[in-house]
Amino acid sequence: MTAAARFRTDVPTTTAPPTAGRPSRRRWSRFGLLAVAPFALFLIVFGVYPMIQLVTMAVSNVTILQGSFHYRPAGVDNFARIVTDPDTAPVVGATAVFIVCAVVLTVGLGTLLAVLLDRAPFMGRVGRRVLIWPTVVAPVVVSVIWLLLLSPTIGLVNKVLFALDLPQQGWLGERVGAMIAIIVVDVWHWSPLVFLLVYTALQSVDPEVLEAARVDGAGEARVIWQVVLPMIRPAIVTAAAIRLVMSVKAFDEMYLLTHGGPGNATNLISLHIRTIFFDRLEFGYGAAIGVAIIVAFALLGGIFALVRRLVTRQEAARV
Amino acid sequence: MSETRRSARGAIGTLAELVLIAAVAATLAPILWMLVLAFQPLKDIIGSGVKIDFSLSNFTDLLAPGNPLLAQLVNSLTIVIGTVLLCLVFGSLAGYALSQLILPRWGTIPLLLLAGFIPLIPPMVLVPGLYATMTSLGLIGGNFGLILLNTVFQMPFAALLMKVYFDGVPNTLREAALIDGASEFATFRAVMLPLVKPGLAAVGTFTGIMAWNEFLFALTMTSGGTTSPLTVGIASLVQPYEVAWGQMAAVGTLAAVPIIIISVIANRYIVAGLTAGAVKG
Repeated sequence: MTAAARFRTDVPTTTAPPTAGRPSRRRWSRFGLLAVAPFALFLIVFGVYPMIQLVTMAVSNVTILQGSFHYRPAGVDNFARIVTDPDTAPVVGATAVFIVCAVVLTVGLGTLLAVLLDRAPFMGRVGRRVLIWPTVVAPVVVSVIWLLLLSPTIGLVNKVLFALDLPQQGWLGERVGAMIAIIVVDVWHWSPLVFLLVYTALQSVDPEVLEAARVDGAGEARVIWQVVLPMIRPAIVTAAAIRLVMSVKAFDEMYLLTHGGPGNATNLISLHIRTIFFDRLEFGYGAAIGVAIIVAFALLGGIFALVRRLVTRQEAARV
Repeated sequence: MSETRRSARGAIGTLAELVLIAAVAATLAPILWMLVLAFQPLKDIIGSGVKIDFSLSNFTDLLAPGNPLLAQLVNSLTIVIGTVLLCLVFGSLAGYALSQLILPRWGTIPLLLLAGFIPLIPPMVLVPGLYATMTSLGLIGGNFGLILLNTVFQMPFAALLMKVYFDGVPNTLREAALIDGASEFATFRAVMLPLVKPGLAAVGTFTGIMAWNEFLFALTMTSGGTTSPLTVGIASLVQPYEVAWGQMAAVGTLAAVPIIIISVIANRYIVAGLTAGAVKG
């Protein structure tokens, strides 16, 4: 049957005049469909199906009876609770403060290091290799590393402060201190990633352009500010977008360093969902927050794509 | 010419060297302090002041009978190997198909959108749905379930990175092999795949490191102790009242040092993975 089908579809292509081009319905590669099938299956079973489960949970009152989930319809109650929950405002606030500080500082510091490394022949060789170490270390280990520094009892920071006769710190237990601590840890962990992205982009900048600017009398600071940075702007924007996504996801480091505390001071959204789901066993409510975040993400993504399309169209029109 | 260039950039060059010395020091010092503490007896760690000693007691404590560390190491390695294999096999097949073969657009476009969207969602958001899914499939609490979950979240990256590498291979090679009588699979396996070895290396090292470092799913889908991988074991040492500082530093060293060594050896592939992940995002 397949042979007959192949014969029939092949005939018109061979008899059609060459100007008609290829047939509108190309034959799909059967091997291709097979090759892509496991990938598609994985995404559907562990991507789409859990999302359907999530939505089901979000509109249900979920209880666990003898190890299995039981659903009772709850309408939009779970979503209404997001608005009335007194934890919502502090969690959203802490998440927003963390995201803004983490993104701005890592992008700023990473870009600075990349631009400077390009101009430091001696330390450049060392820095290029060593600076990316934090990005490959497990977030859990990063928390351990910083606990060993910041712990009020055994931390190196306090031992140094004590030796210098300075007042000791207990940042992880203070509202502002804890937030500063997790931001510092994040900057230490992920500035190297921005550094790497920007540094890679810098390698594709044509040195002759920079030389031309220098010959025209521009100082090195001006070359960096007015020539280099505009040329690598796409890489910086990409790095910022990646860091934005990553900082919304942030969980591991805070889970171990502050556990969201003190109070709600560092209770980022992922930590909040974990508490609701696994400590309070309020599955429906946790799922509703999840759905709200996914919807917000899809909306933001749509707006971003739209704005980008408008901007590129405008730039194209200008040229 | 290089003389004038050097003087023009002199001030910034010096500043750059100084800033980089500070940056390298700030990068290394916290890691080195953990290494130092890993070899200190607990009494020196909790004592006042800084005392540098040498002792293997933290490591012997970790390897003592009844300590779940060895089981956790085996779990972590199993998960890494399983994830890397699945990502390499299915990722390269999918990347090859998406790059070189003709597929129906009604299938590939939603698939690529999904593959692009899943890495954007905070994994914690999906945990409730995944937990229910894994429970109904009977995959809660085992290495196999964690291999599958790691694979799901690494596979979009693996497939898209392999697609980028396959895009660099001319399609005429495939056609030539087919005309010579090779089957589609033989063409893929013997002609095309050897040409993207750097891509396989990048996918392998990168997904391996991500699986080794993964914590969230390990925490939520296993019950701790000998059933979980190393990252959960490390987390369980961080207790609110009695913190096993020395063991914590030792196990952190065990988890971090191999990865750093790999990142030095396979620097090229790690950089390819990190920057390609960026292009995709």
